[in-house]
Amino acid sequence: MEVAESANSLPECCEGAISMHNFSEKILEQVIHFHVMKMRECFFLWVGTTPVLDNLAVAMCSRFDSVPLSTLVLGDTSDTTSNCLAQRLAKKTGKQVFVSYNIPRIESNLTLLIENRIKKEMELLPDKF
Amino acid sequence: MAAERVIFSKCKNEIINGISTQIACTAFSNYIFVVITQYGKMGTLISLTPNVTSSDISKPIFTTKVLLGNDEALTHVFAKNLVMFVSQEAGNKPVLLALALKDKRIESIRDMKEMIKSCQVW
Repeated sequence: MEVAESANSLPECCEGAISMHNFSEKILEQVIHFHVMKMRECFFLWVGTTPVLDNLAVAMCSRFDSVPLSTLVLGDTSDTTSNCLAQRLAKKTGKQVFVSYNIPRIESNLTLLIENRIKKEMELLPDKF
Repeated sequence: MAAERVIFSKCKNEIINGISTQIACTAFSNYIFVVITQYGKMGTLISLTPNVTSSDISKPIFTTKVLLGNDEALTHVFAKNLVMFVSQEAGNKPVLLALALKDKRIESIRDMKEMIKSCQVW
């Protein structure tokens, strides 16, 4: 199957085109995969070790509250990791953010390291988010 | 950096009826995620699930559910029209659809369907 490196093959002129960005990192002996789909006014971030989509949270900034609003649209509502991550990324970027975080909660330290990795990538490649 | 890729995705940008239209398809093991946007954002999120209890496996009944956004009858019609074939072709996998349309003419919907076909990841 042909794998589309769409972000790289699309010409710059396609204004508002969706761009895709994938990266991986070995964190605490686990290979964590990241997938970012960027649109003009929002982005979608998926984090996981296997290609499942178990949950989806959305967050966006509001004029009435300094904490971004967020909700879980898919998955187990008792797990707030996606929600919290979406909120923090919405606050950081000012965009509407969709997050799907698919890592079992075994080590709480891992969540923090993953978040730091995302923030590092955002600093390195801000145009991908 | 990327040792191996686990997520397969394709996207396309086309002008339909004078409006810039973006489509992205991403394959997850339990979902096919399809984005169709003319606003540069996700818009309405709809899940389309084939009914597994249906006795006739070749012709499943699809359930559409608006997860986020405007829950109107037309949204369900568009969802079924646009991505039912994706679910069928992917072996009755559920589809998550993000829909943000300016142009809702049936001819444009047909063109969008062609765009989805050209972004096959299932």
